[in-house]
Amino acid sequence: MLVLDRVGKTYPNGVHALGGVALEVQLGEIVAVIGGSGCGKSTLLRAIGGLDPPSEGAILLDGERVTAPHQKIGIIFQEPRLLPWLKVADNVGFGLGDRPRSERAQRVATALKRVGLADKAAVWPRELSGGQAQRVAIARALVPRPEVLLLDEPFSALDAFTRTDLQDHLLDLWADAKPTLILVTHDVDEAIVLADRVMVMCPRPGRIFDGIEVDLPRPRDRQSAAFDFVKRRVLAALDRSLNRPATGGEDEPKATAGDALWW
Amino acid sequence: MSLVTMTIAAEGASTQHAAPNRWVRLARPALGLGLPVSLALAWEIAVRMGLSSGRLVPPPSVIFATFVDLARTGDLQRNTLVTLARVAAGFAFGVAAATIIGAATGYSATLRRLLDPSLQALRAIPSIAWVPLFILWLGIFEASKVTLIAVGVFFPVYLGLMGAIQSVDRKLVEVGRAFRLSDVAMVRRILLPAVLPAYVISLRSGLGLGWMFVVAAEFMGASEGLGYLLIDGQQLGKPAEIVAAIVAFAIVGKATDWLIALAAAPFLRWEDVVREK
Repeated sequence: MLVLDRVGKTYPNGVHALGGVALEVQLGEIVAVIGGSGCGKSTLLRAIGGLDPPSEGAILLDGERVTAPHQKIGIIFQEPRLLPWLKVADNVGFGLGDRPRSERAQRVATALKRVGLADKAAVWPRELSGGQAQRVAIARALVPRPEVLLLDEPFSALDAFTRTDLQDHLLDLWADAKPTLILVTHDVDEAIVLADRVMVMCPRPGRIFDGIEVDLPRPRDRQSAAFDFVKRRVLAALDRSLNRPATGGEDEPKATAGDALWW
Repeated sequence: MSLVTMTIAAEGASTQHAAPNRWVRLARPALGLGLPVSLALAWEIAVRMGLSSGRLVPPPSVIFATFVDLARTGDLQRNTLVTLARVAAGFAFGVAAATIIGAATGYSATLRRLLDPSLQALRAIPSIAWVPLFILWLGIFEASKVTLIAVGVFFPVYLGLMGAIQSVDRKLVEVGRAFRLSDVAMVRRILLPAVLPAYVISLRSGLGLGWMFVVAAEFMGASEGLGYLLIDGQQLGKPAEIVAAIVAFAIVGKATDWLIALAAAPFLRWEDVVREK
């Protein structure tokens, strides 16, 4: 279990980015974190990843305090961040440096096959498309079998078709070992398609404003009425988190909340 | 020469349908040879026809003969080896110093603030200006020559390496952190490969300066070396010897540059993808 115990972050320049975020995430749960720009979503994720430890409170993974990148926590960034001087297979095996060669090769091959890129093993990262590169990044993060996988707007740089494709694919991969997923996103649809719980954050300082359970069976139909119902709730919460008048969810909720998210 | 060109042209015409692109590709670099080859040819003919004595500007055939002559007596090889040894020693010292100091200042901001301003000030001095001082300090023999070459090699390598380390993508370093690399592993698996392309370029420009400075070093008093051949040719009025030495410089300089590029190629293959596309 991952526990955030009143996690706060104040940068040396005085910016109060996070103010006491408390959250408990069960093993295998998928949590989406959503919110307007500057509400500390990424700061929170980087704190959990041990890249920028919090200045107040604590992050506990199975009772153990996380202050630096942790073996059981993997992270996927907005960009694939593949190492351009390593072939795709070596990128995927990057986190297995301490394992024997044969085990590494075998796990890399399995992972590449799983993301549908078995034929790209001996290719340089520059030869991949954006979606392929992000799939390699996902494989790289999953190969060390993390207990918690953090995703920082992983699909936001991709085109709409590739994005939905990869969302479905991510769920597929998640089902293999069912790690905990914490996903920061701008995209309300993405949050609802993937998550068991959508946490809406609000800014100055960044904190959790509301949490919305998504109790829909998977795979989720983005066009269904139930999906739309949850979406309206999330959008309404977003509007309230940004101190906007609620749009009633009748006319065009997306126009306001969507705008708030993107601009 | 023109006969060869015609033969090529004729063959090109006959195989045009089979592989037109191949001939175009072969002919394109040959295009650059056109001007120097025809100038040389024209000069050769002018001298042969008695339009010029060719005493100060020897025709290609005389230069070639001098080159062969120098090679036959072993003078060319001996002098080339001496010069090569000086460049090698100066390059080794210069690169070693530049790599250590450049790595330190690239990695640590404190060291950069401490050392870089002084080094930049030294860099502003034309390196040849050091010559009198080096001769006073180190004598007129090898030590002062090697030092001068090392100074010339030092700056491009130092600047290139420091800049390359500073501009390593922070996002890739973060990947290394996320996978909990130790400091040593971070250097070996992220920093070193990231820095290598710029480092190789700086080595090559450092080597170019090394060849430049060896001539200056050999001008300031040497009894052997390609630079000595230049001076010797001037003092004895043998322009063909001068040009032969220049040709030797060109060949050896290009060859050493090519060796560095060749040695680095296996580690930079990932870059080639960009160039091919």
